Amino acid sequence: MSLTHRERLLRVFEFKSVDRIPNYEFGYWRETIDRWHREGLPEELKTDAEVEQYLGLEGLESVEKVPVIIGVWPRPPEVVLKSEDDREIVADGLGGIYVRKKYTSTIPHYIRYPIRNREDWERIKPFFDPKTYGRVPLNWSDIVEKYRDRDYPLIIFVGSLYGWLRDLMGVERISIAFYREPDWVKEMMDTIVNLVTTILRRVLKDIKPDIAWFWEDMAYSKGPLLSPKLFEEFMVPRYKKIMSILNEHGVNIAVVDCDGDIEQLVPGWLEAGVNCMFPLEARYVDPYKLREKFGKKVLLIGGVDKRALIAGEKAIDKELERLTPLLEEGGYIPTVDHRVPPEVSYQTYLYYLKRKREWLEKHHP
Amino acid sequence: MSSDVLNSIKEALVGLDLDKTIDFVRMAVELGFKPMDIINALADGMRVVGERYEKNEYFLSELIMAAEIFKEAMNVLEPLILKEGRALYIGKAVVGTVEGDLHDIGKNLFVMFLKSMGFEVIDLGVDVPPKKFVEAVKQYKPDVVGMSALLTTTVLNMKKVIDALNNEGLRNSIKVIVGGAAVTKEYVNEIGADAGGIDAYEGALICRKWVEEKRKADLR
Repeated sequence: MSLTHRERLLRVFEFKSVDRIPNYEFGYWRETIDRWHREGLPEELKTDAEVEQYLGLEGLESVEKVPVIIGVWPRPPEVVLKSEDDREIVADGLGGIYVRKKYTSTIPHYIRYPIRNREDWERIKPFFDPKTYGRVPLNWSDIVEKYRDRDYPLIIFVGSLYGWLRDLMGVERISIAFYREPDWVKEMMDTIVNLVTTILRRVLKDIKPDIAWFWEDMAYSKGPLLSPKLFEEFMVPRYKKIMSILNEHGVNIAVVDCDGDIEQLVPGWLEAGVNCMFPLEARYVDPYKLREKFGKKVLLIGGVDKRALIAGEKAIDKELERLTPLLEEGGYIPTVDHRVPPEVSYQTYLYYLKRKREWLEKHHP
Repeated sequence: MSSDVLNSIKEALVGLDLDKTIDFVRMAVELGFKPMDIINALADGMRVVGERYEKNEYFLSELIMAAEIFKEAMNVLEPLILKEGRALYIGKAVVGTVEGDLHDIGKNLFVMFLKSMGFEVIDLGVDVPPKKFVEAVKQYKPDVVGMSALLTTTVLNMKKVIDALNNEGLRNSIKVIVGGAAVTKEYVNEIGADAGGIDAYEGALICRKWVEEKRKADLR
């Protein structure tokens, strides 16, 4: 059986037989790439995509994405207000001020969030206007032509209902708003839904992507940041609006990128049609449990415990063995369960990739 | 009637109803209840919220809302407590996310629980170098130092803080608790912390136990 990259991906998610599973990885922390440069990775390779391609991986960063902008647009310029030893104080251009580390990868720490009240929101709302120029490239017809007879998969990013607002407001402010100002939260989410659905209507007339990709990051080690009750009330109906357009146009694989313990959110996502969970952090999520509970309705990407790569070769072998039945069942593409951390040496990662390549070819539906 | 109002305060807080909670708190004040009795009712409500969180009936969003209600209620009560000349707090804690780490959800959660249990909390924020922890311990003389780290790379800095406290001869006067996704029970023992590798609520309960034991020992 000889399949194209696109056929291979789609067949895996249809639980059909394949010649092998696509070889994807999540990515790397900046410190990891720095370390690997000292251990043999060519110095000129800086980005996730460059590293992926050099190592013979097919994604995830390298998978083609529809070049439309669903998100804050235009992106206002950031300004460094103050530079200290190892950190910078940055004005984000949306009214927020945050601290970032100069030499290490970590999330920005907001000193002042862009949205503190409704007035702030009214100022930011126009950045979610779907009609702003530049969201869809002017050479759209060329892009449509490019994708017409493709043999590779195509992803469309479809935004975030909670994650974006949490980033703009902070987890405390948004949590209180769900209780104190529910109409405002709904209005903000509706604005996002309007942006996503308007762009989707425009794109899906001409192009059929294979995968829709949400980003949420709305869970942590103890479970969801937002209670399932609020999730179901505020978010599930809005996902449904987005998913109905995607499904209408034959896009039936919808990934949600959410770290942490997601188990209690999965029923709501599945109900809305968001059916593929990523990256399945092994410390918090058991993919077998999800499959047992939700059957073939749930698709899976990720799940390889990063701690096994830290522990070394024997642990890697054991970890791949743990995931073999899932791989053989189908509906699952393995990747490390988050960015590869800097505790993993380049040699160990090469060992993982070598073993993984053999594993993907030997065990598949 | 008396226990009804206090019970209503507790129930309104558990029900996450800010307006009702504040109304009942004001009513209790008007009826002549002592501020400490009202605070105990609120703390009782927070205990139930914590239990519901432990049982997966409440989540982070509910904890944050409950803490907001507690804070608003305390704004009503604090002037009255000060007027009585009573101590506002059962103990003092210095808390921060260690150097190199900007993650603060876990730390904020811990701060929130400590406050709801009656602690005065000096929150040093994120990316806090060992020196700053030491200076804060010298300045505020806390009962507890709490450190948080999410990343496997930054968790190592917890040991640096403990070493710095040892070097300054401050370690024995305080309890040290550590938390965050990267902290394991083994690591707690390895670095010589007093507790850790548990969730924020359980951590705050341990801190309360420590200060209660300390007060009892002081009275002997």
